[in-house]
Amino acid sequence: MKTPAIVSEFREGLAQGKLLIQHCQDCDKPNMWPRYACPHCQSENLGWLQSKGEGVLHSFCVLRQGAPAGYEEDLPYAIGVVKLDEGVQLLVRLEANRPDDWSDYLCDDRVSFVAVDAAEAERRPCAQFRRSPG
Amino acid sequence: MAENWQLHVSPGADNDPVFVGVGEIPTGKFPDRSFIEALTKVALLALKDAGMVPRDIDTIMLIPCLHGAADQADLVFSRMVEELGIHGSAKSSYMVHSGGSTSDNATRAAHGLIATGHAQNVLVLQCERWGSADLNEMITMLAKNGIPGEWELPTGIQFNAIGAMITRRYMHASGSTAEEMASVCVTLRNWANLNENAMFYHKPLTVEQILASRMVADPLHSYECPPMADGACAFVMTSTGNARKRGLTTAVRVAGSGGCVSHYCLSQEADQAVLGWPLAAERAWNQSGWGPQDADIAQIYDSYAAVTTTGLEGIGIAAKGEGARWCAAGHGNPGGKLPLNTNGGLLSAGHTGVGGGTALLVEGVRQLLHRAPSKRQVENCQRAIIGGSGGSYMDAQILLLERTKLGA
Ligand SMILES: [Zn+2]
Repeated sequence: MKTPAIVSEFREGLAQGKLLIQHCQDCDKPNMWPRYACPHCQSENLGWLQSKGEGVLHSFCVLRQGAPAGYEEDLPYAIGVVKLDEGVQLLVRLEANRPDDWSDYLCDDRVSFVAVDAAEAERRPCAQFRRSPG
Repeated sequence: MAENWQLHVSPGADNDPVFVGVGEIPTGKFPDRSFIEALTKVALLALKDAGMVPRDIDTIMLIPCLHGAADQADLVFSRMVEELGIHGSAKSSYMVHSGGSTSDNATRAAHGLIATGHAQNVLVLQCERWGSADLNEMITMLAKNGIPGEWELPTGIQFNAIGAMITRRYMHASGSTAEEMASVCVTLRNWANLNENAMFYHKPLTVEQILASRMVADPLHSYECPPMADGACAFVMTSTGNARKRGLTTAVRVAGSGGCVSHYCLSQEADQAVLGWPLAAERAWNQSGWGPQDADIAQIYDSYAAVTTTGLEGIGIAAKGEGARWCAAGHGNPGGKLPLNTNGGLLSAGHTGVGGGTALLVEGVRQLLHRAPSKRQVENCQRAIIGGSGGSYMDAQILLLERTKLGA
């Protein structure tokens, strides 16, 4: 099956170092994850806005074993849920503070989107975040 | 939410649906026990417990398995009707599925069928072979369940990561310590030590052992992750009128139920330290006419301790933020103020996939029928709270059950 446009466009954004949020052209609300019709007003008139890439870390974990097939080489890795300032949430990878060390992270930390190169965005088409300075 | 949402069945009325029997076989690793053999065994055990034979059953409701598509298809395509010899007379056979909360939804489905007359005697069957399945295959399969492949699979998320995130948020919000979280697992193990059917029967466990076990997905240690198991159980529901005609004197009725589907994938949950429990509980208490203080046992989904502690709080058994400390104080233990997951739960009786919630429900019914082995039978057990959750803790489902006398 051809990759749906909402997926390929989101991923193209990541490859260009941008975090895109679906935006309803009719009710002006943000949708994440992107949908095929706006869950607020059912409009199919949907586009994108670039997120400022700032938010709060709701929770996270560091997976040390038991990766799904194809992800073993990444172990250990950290995954978290970020509540963006735009009012939507998403699942992300978290950059380590030091190699294989996420001990500086706490729930409710301010976190920022990290642009990765196109090759990494293709290998792992998901957003990466890190703790915001200060 | 101000709503008044009542069940349209009167307690003790002829059409009031009741549980009349349960069946179960040991949970653990049983590679040589075949899927259909296990289903047949629990079906016959539940029927015997209900005082019935297969011919009495008009409707079979199947709880799905996750270990393999072929066995799942056998369930869907009515194999058990033939295995039990009721082909030709059975009215319908079909599956109900909402992951870990299936038992709650299957109960609702059977309840509705019986109350309206679509069914008379319903047999609900469950079997899972997770303990004998290839662990890596199951991890990869589960990474595609309750997780949107196009958006979240690329992060490498899997089920322990989901449990770990809920646990971390819960610990952050409640200030619960690692010791207090581990005490939930110890409570469950204390009960498993009274259950011959539990995977970890006769294997005592301490907080110290848990905290010394390997870190799997921070903050979860390996002993805080659910052990995948083979298991099977079954239950029978009928109407109060049928039960009376059959000469039964006690049964278990549904006093109320409530649910809340709060998300599909965990990333869209508003508060991982709360989940859907408060709204589910409000709806359930509104129907039952009794409250958490009136319950004699609670059977709350426990694939990870934080799922249970959020449940204890949302249901109103423990104060907000106190669920783990409630367990640490021993309140859920044998002899405690509200026995919790008296079969040992998923964490200590064994995680049988969709069946973990079914085993909790079956144990609740068994306690209310006063048919648990004496060492773990809760004295004069009259009311039970059953809590389930499916997928990536997408929903909170509550059944409030009560023992009922069937007068002539
Ligand atoms: Zn809209």
